[in-house]
Amino acid sequence: MPGRYGVPTDPDYQERLAEFEARIRRGEKIEPGDWMPEEYRRQLIRMISQHAHSEVVGMLPEGAWITRAPTLKRKMILVAKVQDEAGHGQYLYHAAETLGISREAMLEALLSGKAKYSSIFNYPTLTWADIGTIGWLVDGAAIKNQTMLAQCSYGPYSRAMVRICAEETFHHKQGKEMVLLYAQGTPKQRAMAQDAINRWWWPALMMLGPHDKDSPNTEVLVRWGIKTKTNDQVRQEFINEHAPEILAAGLSIPDPELRYDEKSGNWLHGPINWDEFWQVVSGNGPMNKERLEARRRAHAEGAWVREALEAYAAKQKKAAVAV
Amino acid sequence: MDTQWPRWEVFKQDAPGKPHQAVGSVHAADPEHALLTARNVFARRPQAVSMWVVRAEEVFSWTKEEIAQDPALRGESRPALGSRPTTYLVFRKTSHKRSMTFVDHVGEVEAYSPQGALREALARFSDAEGLVWWVVPAEKVYKSDPSQETVESWFDPAKEKTYKQQQYYATVSASRPKRRKEDEAFGEGCAHC
Ligand SMILES: [Fe+2]
Ligand SMILES: [Fe+2]
Repeated sequence: MPGRYGVPTDPDYQERLAEFEARIRRGEKIEPGDWMPEEYRRQLIRMISQHAHSEVVGMLPEGAWITRAPTLKRKMILVAKVQDEAGHGQYLYHAAETLGISREAMLEALLSGKAKYSSIFNYPTLTWADIGTIGWLVDGAAIKNQTMLAQCSYGPYSRAMVRICAEETFHHKQGKEMVLLYAQGTPKQRAMAQDAINRWWWPALMMLGPHDKDSPNTEVLVRWGIKTKTNDQVRQEFINEHAPEILAAGLSIPDPELRYDEKSGNWLHGPINWDEFWQVVSGNGPMNKERLEARRRAHAEGAWVREALEAYAAKQKKAAVAV
Repeated sequence: MDTQWPRWEVFKQDAPGKPHQAVGSVHAADPEHALLTARNVFARRPQAVSMWVVRAEEVFSWTKEEIAQDPALRGESRPALGSRPTTYLVFRKTSHKRSMTFVDHVGEVEAYSPQGALREALARFSDAEGLVWWVVPAEKVYKSDPSQETVESWFDPAKEKTYKQQQYYATVSASRPKRRKEDEAFGEGCAHC
């Protein structure tokens, strides 16, 4: 399909760009096969593949606790949640593939360490209360972002997000329920819940991305309807929902400057340590190396399964031809 | 790095009488593998009663924009001499509304080429404007086993896993989380195991 991805040097670029932007303003979805700027495609591939990798790597910190879940009920919930995250990775790789990038190329980028994924998954899960806190705060932050992305102008990404959001709500609720129970439990349980909140609060705020003024892509992403809100807007929504709930549960938030602003109706937070964020993003977080090694090991150890399935498929094909 | 498996488009039917809807794709070595993977990826929640898979390269797709720009698609269908028509399944998307599914199965047409199938489809299914059309040769589609036994074993377990539904946690509130009966039951050992 010549000219499906337009570049500014195309003679009809300006005209087609105007049509494309008008479609987005009318609330139409852009679908595979439609004309789109090459830059729209590039931004989507970047965002969707990073998002897919985050779902896949996100299985690791929680998966580590499946064998140590305190009850059968909690174990079944955690297994189901980790399975869901694997599924989310699949939905998202599919959405990126509709833009003409192969799954193999994306996996290669992840395993080689070239691709980015969410900074949050480079923190360790130290106690069982981290599992509840991840559900409540990390999935809670992810939902705010994903609900916004469900409005995305690109059809396949939007559909993946709608499917994911429907499942994420369970992740959020089970985590919230767990932390609230511990907050009302024994002193030891309370202390464990508080310790988890203390460690995950700031990384949860950071995972929603740099401030708008430091986020050079935001303008074009919003204009093309890839994002419908900025990082700071999504972060504010997250804080406004979660801060009062954490405090109502009798837990504290590790931000001495956090306060409710009557005038704006917002919960205002103190300065975020962006040095830490950039350290983690650039590979120096507490768990970056381990996460990548775990992915590589899983890929290498699964090689025989892939070979066996391929051999079986070849045999079936041969048998079908012989008949 | 090893070479990836072929990609298969997946269609899911939520209940008898409802259309099969495109939900996404999976990579798999063969049709059986594709159907199993499709079930694991796209039917972890109710509802589902049937799934179809087809190799991605067997899917012929046009958006409204592509059709508008290709006048050849609106001409007459001219069968090659002596050729027999093929049955194509037709799928269509009609709304820009937020949705987790893409094109819906609307019916079948007989045609001599995918382009011919699209022309047939545009004429036959004109009750609503198509924003995206897919036509797929019927013989390339692999379907999950419709026997009751398979349908139950594939799709019923998801219904029993009520803890995956958000309603299960409806009673959660910051001030006073309610303990449900199931908490105790699970604590003692699950009744199903
Ligand atoms: Fe997820
Ligand atoms: Fe999640």
